[in-house]
Parts: sequence; structure tokens; C-alpha cells
Amino acid sequence: MKSKQLLFPVLVPVLFSLVMVLFSQSAVSATPDPTEQFRPFLKKVTDTLADPGLKAIPKNEQSQRIINIVREHFDFREMSKRVIGQQWRNLSEKEQAEFEGLFTQLLQYAYVGKIDEYSGQQVQFVQQRIKGERAEVQTMLVDKDKSIPVFYIMLLKDDRWMAYDVVVEGVSLIRNYMEQFSEILRKDGYSGLVKQIEQKVAELEQNVKKT
Amino acid sequence: MRWEYDRRILIRLFMGWMCAAMLLAAPSQAADFLSDEGYEEQSENVRVADPIEPFNRAVFTVNDKIYLWVLEPVATGYSKVVPSDIRGCIGNFFYNLGEPVRSVNCLLQGRFRDSGATLGRFAINTVFGIFGLADPASNEFKMAPVYASLGETLSVWGIGDGFYLVVPLLGSSTLREFTGTVVDGAAMSTYSPWNDDLLTVATAQGANTVNRTSLRLGEYEELKSLSFDPYVAFRNGYFQIRSKQRDHSASAN
Repeated sequence: MKSKQLLFPVLVPVLFSLVMVLFSQSAVSATPDPTEQFRPFLKKVTDTLADPGLKAIPKNEQSQRIINIVREHFDFREMSKRVIGQQWRNLSEKEQAEFEGLFTQLLQYAYVGKIDEYSGQQVQFVQQRIKGERAEVQTMLVDKDKSIPVFYIMLLKDDRWMAYDVVVEGVSLIRNYMEQFSEILRKDGYSGLVKQIEQKVAELEQNVKKT
Repeated sequence: MRWEYDRRILIRLFMGWMCAAMLLAAPSQAADFLSDEGYEEQSENVRVADPIEPFNRAVFTVNDKIYLWVLEPVATGYSKVVPSDIRGCIGNFFYNLGEPVRSVNCLLQGRFRDSGATLGRFAINTVFGIFGLADPASNEFKMAPVYASLGETLSVWGIGDGFYLVVPLLGSSTLREFTGTVVDGAAMSTYSPWNDDLLTVATAQGANTVNRTSLRLGEYEELKSLSFDPYVAFRNGYFQIRSKQRDHSASAN
């Protein structure tokens, strides 16, 4: 009787701490830190942008090189799925792949202009939030006169945090395009949307060539 | 006895009003990017209606031309003459003038801490920041600027947006927000240094607009060039920015 009484208060904290240790370790190994993954990733992007060798190659190759790095932590398929919304399921596999390619191209050309504008702006990490398989990494793009808040919204895929949205100064890129696309989809359907994106890409391509 | 009874009714009315205000304020637009709700197509009752879209589109086009033909060239010229740190100071000065109005709006929304902080910012920046030209409240005292407007106050009180409205020269707004902007502006003019005549007020407003534009040159054209329907893109952006400004939770930063 007496030994049992003693055993209990001793055993419980021991067991409890053991469980805590095990649990915290498993939790750490289950979810990698999003900031720890994005810090070297964004460093790689800014280093590439700052590389004088980049400006020496043709514009199209420049953007190709950047997009290949960006792909490491950006999930363009997830972006495409979200930007189309509910209609995504009605698209055939071929159409989904086609759209993903087009949308990636659109973003690629949209940010080619940024390559020339890059003048050593630095990324500061502010804070992060994790909710299950999702995370938000809040950063500041620090420029000479101003700081621009840029948030990356990401999904955990095989231990790799993959961004599916970029929120600049409170405006989500995906949600903004989603509202525009949903009106086009309603009026002209999927084929109309594809035509409009192709047109936009061609237009942006022209601008790139001009400069 | 009678007085006691009246008072009880008043208290009950007040409590009821507070509850109603809180209930109505509950579905505030705070967008959590980590939940999927924000990515689902918004149903008609969530999204602010745009029944006068043809009118709004016309005003949008006019504003676009005013921006491209008048505001942008003027702001570009101005930015070449006035260095950016001085333009930053001018921006601070205009922002500081709005602090008392923000403080009152915080009070009306029941955000007492924010109300005090805003008033504190105003005092610090007016005295140590030389009439608000510098922002020592943010830099030295770590008091971040607080967003508040009458439009937000009205929304906290349960008044709906009405409908989306593009105002000439002013841009994106809604019926409620525009009402708030006008009243906030009128309140500000009671103590601003230029309440003598309309021309002075308009000049001050114009100076503020040119100064603000000079700090964000090129952004408008860029956003426009990337969008498929600029009208929809800017409408969506307006509501997204607004909900971000009004999310006062810590995670929103």
C-alpha cells in the first residue's frame, strides 16, 4: 500500500516528461520549419538576381533561370488549381497541364521586369504561422525608401514547404486573379480564358523584347 | 423610483446595443490565408454588390486617364525636384494630421488602447517630430501606426457597405466608406491649418495626393499591365487591402 502511494507521484511526472520528450521530437521531425526552408531559398533567388552574369544572357533565358529556381519552393500546379476554383475538376488532365504551363508563363513574364529593377533589396523575416499542413511566412522586402510586406502562403509536400500564394501588401495574387478569371470563365468559358492568357503572355513578351 | 427605473432601462438598452454591435461586428472580414474559405468563390452575400458597374467603370476610366495624363506626370516631375526623404516627411505630416480623427474612431469602435496609442502618437510626433514631419513615435517609441476610419466604425456598428462605388479622383470606395471619408474629412478640416477657403483646402489635398503618388510611381501601371480586367483587379485589391487594414489581430502584424 505504502509503496504504491509513493510510486504514483514519482512515476507520473517521469512518464509525463518521457511522453513530452517523445512527442516534441516527433513533432519536430514531422513539420520542418518553413522559415528555415525559405531563408536559403529566397537568398538563392536574390543572389541570382544580383549576379552580374545574369544580365549578360538573353532576357528569355534570364527568366527561365529564375523560374527554375523559384520552382524549388513554388507549387504552380496548386496555384493553377486555386486560381481556377471549382471548375478545375471539370477540366481534363490535358487541360489542367496546359493551364498550369500557361499560368506559369504568365507569372514568369510578369516578373521578368523585376530582374532589371532588382538593386540589392533584402528580405527580412518577420514571423511565421503554422496550421497543420499550411504555413504563412511573413517577410519584408526592404528597399531604399520603403519596406513592402510580402507573405508566402505554403503547403507541406513531402517535407518541403511549397508556396501557392504570394500576398503583397495585403493583396493575394491568387485571389486577385481568381476573381478576374471567374468572370472570364463565366462569360467565355475555359477556351476564352486560355485565349486571354495567351494574349497577355504575348503582350508581356513583346514588352520584354522592347526593353 | 422613477429615475431608478429609467436608469435600468437605459443600462439594458446600452447592453443590448453593445451586444448587437458585437454580434454584427463578428463576421468581420479578417481574411485568414491559412484557411481555404478565402480561396473559394465568394457567394453574392459576402461580396459587396456592384449594381452600378457601368457607372463605376466609366468613372474608373476617367480616373485612369486623370492619373496617366495629369497626376503621374506631375508627381514624376515633383519627385525629380524633391528628394525622397523630404517627400517622406511631407507624407508623415499629412498622416499625423489625421491622428485625432483616427483616435476618435478607435474610441467609437471600443478600441480604447488603440485610441490612446493614436493620441500618444499624435502628441509625440507633433512635439518631437516637428509638427509631424518626422515619426519618432514609430522609430523611437515603437508605437506602430494604427488604422481607423469612420467607415470602419460604421461597419463595427453593423452598417453594411451598401454597394461598391468608384468616386471621381478618389477611386475605390463603397457607399458607407465614402460617407465615412467625407465625414472624417470634415472633422479634420475643423482643426487642420487650412480651413479658410475651399481653394486652400483643395490645394492641400492636391499636394497630399501628388506627394503620395510620387512615393509609389510606376506601381499603378505595373498592376494594370498584369491584369486582365483592371477594373475587377482594382476592385478586388481594394477589398483585400481593406480587410487586411481592419484585421487588428496580432498575427496580421
